[in-house]
Amino acid sequence: MRHGRVPFILGFLVAPVTLYSYFVLWPYVQTINLSFYQWRGFTKKRWVGLENYDRMLHADRFWQALEHHAVILVLLPLATIAFALFFAFLLNVGGKGRGGKTAGVWGSSFYRVVFFLPQVLAVPVIGVLFATVYRPNESGLINGVLLKAGLDKPIGFLIEKNLALPALIAVLVWQAVGFYVVLFSAGMANIPAEIYEAAELDGASKVSLFFRVTLPLLWDTIQTAWVYLGILAFDAFAIVSVLAQDNGGPDGATTVLGLEIYNNMQQNRYGDAATYGVALCLLSLVFAAFTLRLTRRESYEY
Amino acid sequence: MSVTPESPSQQPNALSRRTVLQRAAVAGLVATPAVGFLAACADSGSDDETSTPNSGATSAANPLGAPEDQPINVVIFNGGYGDKYATDVHEPMYKKAHPKSEVKHQSSQAISTLVQPLIAGGNAPEFVNNSGEKSLDFGALVADGQLQDLTALFDAPSVDDPSKKVRDTLVPGTVDTGSFNGKPYVLYYVSTVFGIWYSGKLFTDNGWAPAKTWSEFTALCDKIKAKGIAPYAYAGANAAYYQWNIILTSAAKIGGADILKNIDNLEDGAWKVDAVKQAAEAWAEIGAKYNLQGAEGLKHTDVQLKQNQYQLAMYPSGDWIENEQKKDTPEGFKYQMLTTPSITGSDKLKSTALRATAGEGYMVLAKSKNPKGGMEYMRQMLSKAGGKGFTEVVKAPTVVLGSTDGLTFTPGTQSSQDALKAAGSEVFNLFFDGWYKDLDKEARTATNELMFGRIKADAFVERIQKKADEIKKDSSITKFKR
Amino acid sequence: MTAIIGRDAPGQRSGGQGARVVPKSERPRRKLNLAGGIGHVFLAIWALMIIIPLLWVFLASFKNTTEIFSSPWTVPDHLRWENWGRAWTKAHVGTYVLNSVLVVTLATFGTMLLSSMAAYVLARYKFVGNRIIYFLFVAGIAFPPFLAVVPLFFQVKQLGLLNTYTGLIIVYIAYSLPFTIFFLTSFFRSLPNSVAEAATIDGASHTRLFFSVMLPMAKPGLISLTIFNLIGQWGQFLLPLVLMAGARDKWVLTQGIQEISTSAGYEADWAGLFAALTISILPMIVMYMIFQRQIQAGLTAGAVK
Repeated sequence: MRHGRVPFILGFLVAPVTLYSYFVLWPYVQTINLSFYQWRGFTKKRWVGLENYDRMLHADRFWQALEHHAVILVLLPLATIAFALFFAFLLNVGGKGRGGKTAGVWGSSFYRVVFFLPQVLAVPVIGVLFATVYRPNESGLINGVLLKAGLDKPIGFLIEKNLALPALIAVLVWQAVGFYVVLFSAGMANIPAEIYEAAELDGASKVSLFFRVTLPLLWDTIQTAWVYLGILAFDAFAIVSVLAQDNGGPDGATTVLGLEIYNNMQQNRYGDAATYGVALCLLSLVFAAFTLRLTRRESYEY
Repeated sequence: MSVTPESPSQQPNALSRRTVLQRAAVAGLVATPAVGFLAACADSGSDDETSTPNSGATSAANPLGAPEDQPINVVIFNGGYGDKYATDVHEPMYKKAHPKSEVKHQSSQAISTLVQPLIAGGNAPEFVNNSGEKSLDFGALVADGQLQDLTALFDAPSVDDPSKKVRDTLVPGTVDTGSFNGKPYVLYYVSTVFGIWYSGKLFTDNGWAPAKTWSEFTALCDKIKAKGIAPYAYAGANAAYYQWNIILTSAAKIGGADILKNIDNLEDGAWKVDAVKQAAEAWAEIGAKYNLQGAEGLKHTDVQLKQNQYQLAMYPSGDWIENEQKKDTPEGFKYQMLTTPSITGSDKLKSTALRATAGEGYMVLAKSKNPKGGMEYMRQMLSKAGGKGFTEVVKAPTVVLGSTDGLTFTPGTQSSQDALKAAGSEVFNLFFDGWYKDLDKEARTATNELMFGRIKADAFVERIQKKADEIKKDSSITKFKR
Repeated sequence: MTAIIGRDAPGQRSGGQGARVVPKSERPRRKLNLAGGIGHVFLAIWALMIIIPLLWVFLASFKNTTEIFSSPWTVPDHLRWENWGRAWTKAHVGTYVLNSVLVVTLATFGTMLLSSMAAYVLARYKFVGNRIIYFLFVAGIAFPPFLAVVPLFFQVKQLGLLNTYTGLIIVYIAYSLPFTIFFLTSFFRSLPNSVAEAATIDGASHTRLFFSVMLPMAKPGLISLTIFNLIGQWGQFLLPLVLMAGARDKWVLTQGIQEISTSAGYEADWAGLFAALTISILPMIVMYMIFQRQIQAGLTAGAVK
């Protein structure tokens, strides 16, 4: 087994490492470097030291964005995981036990297909779709119904400062739930049926089944889900940029760091854009480190 | 996957993911110092590609000396005016004058998305119609030396009469409008008049008359509201600047056009003068009482469609609106324009005063391969035939003097042209939005806050002034004066 | 008794088997039915929240502008297939779909191949630099891609790969590596040693061991990550926007939709936009329906942790 080991390792690593260094690592490194310059994206860079950082830390929009990330970071995983767990439980265990087996409710395969659909829609599609869903007059999907039902003023989902961010988070949840239903279903399928049966025979209700059996045994998978959703929370840029009004509006009520990077790029302020980018990187790393601390340790077997 | 036992003592190489990420972060930092040098290399690489502009022999037919055998790349904003005027009128004209020079045409609704990578990649197109929601920042381009100085073009003999310079064949003020600190970099081609637009049919059918004073205006709004039609609205989602434009127009009428000059020049307290406050207050009331349902969340196309469907009476816009809406305008709609009514009894300017400008910006990129060809294209555009052809296709007059002779206008353009005549010398313009995109952005946001009742006029001027002061202090932003 | 009737409800594998079920105590059983009933309501509501907007887009593709901007609950007064025609010919949606399929298929394949190679070596071989390489890959998960966009643009340009399929595919692969390698590494680590040892004793080379023993064993993990990558790359929005801007005939679907929705704003062709949306959504739905068993099986294999 020692024979040919080194060429083998090199051979397997050379392509991925080269690609990764050239197209991913190197651009990031350049970005960090760029955050110390003023650069309009065309010609000369001017060294400005920490000026960009100073400006960022004094910008209202930066702190607004941070606040929004915090909100998304809490609401998005909570809502998504809660819904997904609930649905996955119904689909897998919610039906009537029969022949010594727990079963999902009727039609569960249909639901699984439908719930997953939002996952295959590209961001611009979601943007157009929800612009219609939320439109604040009688042609909006939600307001059209509410106004017919006697509401006298449409709800300004994307206009009201207090509603805009939750409305965007709702879209993210809407899109994500299906995936996590499938993920949790997979986890639940691995829970031995005997555990449920024993609990059922003891007269446990579905509710206590959920809290005493399913939840503890799925804890690992839920943590994984939390990490994914956390990363998504830091990357909410796309949905904000296609759906929010006035570039992260109203009045900055939905802005996120990604959008500030984008806005700075739009104004050819690449140094500032890079500075916000560095902030975003640091935050993502802190979050990942913090969350992963809870999960189990990696190990080598070979 | 929990197949393997995982106690760290059993696995000497065990690593927590946390340390993974920590060390990765350190690796990133360690790598930084080496970057400066390499980045410098990357820089010089891109500098090499900026080619020296080519030149050809000058002649009567080619006074700018554009190389006859070099192609030019033309990028047109495919928005309100479409791109047919370029493909059907200007490009054939250029080709006819310079048969050996090929014209490569591209159009887009998102100019920055298309052009920015081209510039960054060293393939700058010669001629760009920089307009629309996603246009490039003219101020930044000028500050960065990306734009061709158009002095040579304006001093060149015109196509129609070689004894006249191009600058003398244009509506006065055209060259200034596109100038930055005294040098012309942008050609604003379309004569644009701003005002409040309504349907002539709707007004005639109901016996409504356009208002001149503020009390007439609110009375008119009441009458319209009683009819179950929304009196006045703009699109908050993406076109709030249509409304700050109206507010500042009113302010200029109250306090004189110098108010706008002070705003453009970032003078201290320019936004906080009484005239701006009064105008903001008056319009905030219109916003509170007479708005179209949900207008703040709608895009300009949605709101304009509402007007075409007679659900909205008055809408602030420039005179491109008639062409923009031609597909959805019902028979007999008859676009008409009204100037902003006088807010006080003691306004410095008459109610007929208006904001007009040369609009729709065109630029030649200095780092393109053939900037002289780009300027020559502009010279052809600025001929009488070029102007006339443009007006025939898009129904909007250009800055070329006399190019509309013998043309009949559509009702909307006719009404804005009449308004322009009626205004006489009381025509003004403003520039800060093109110079400082950040200030435009802040003004848009503040306008939505004001018009939808979340802040009062005082807070409105306060917050825009704050932004203006920040920009004034910020040494990284190039300043412009007029 | 209700319990027995409930058990014969449709959807159970077959009604006739109901009799064979061992009866359990009455009390929990009634509770179970109740939970099922309420559960159904929630499931149905969520399903409707997904189906209604999609159905609305479908209907809107047959409407005209006036109908679209009146009440959302009206049905088009006749089927305007010309909307679809415009979307297909004028907006080139068909081309964009094909381009997306081409780019995503090749990129996902490349991603899986390179990632499994790297992950395998990183997971099962000790050598100097192993951990550093692994850290650098994993750190990539936390970086927002568009932060790198400007320098990336120049990197791609330097190779002359701007506006080419090759360039886009390679960049997709590069940006999918961190995530894929991270999960595949832990997957390879979890594979038992015994098989590998047996193969080694049989004299299999490293390469053969990988391709004919370890890869097949890792199949469940590979399937789930393939699905992740297909979905992720299909929805990729930023990279093509920057790297394919200049070649309209090579645009992928996300770019196309973006362009169409911007231009709908100027030309007010909303019906055309919704027809284009429908054309872009339908193949994904059909594909998903065909492959949903494999997708769920892949995820059920438990590789995703």
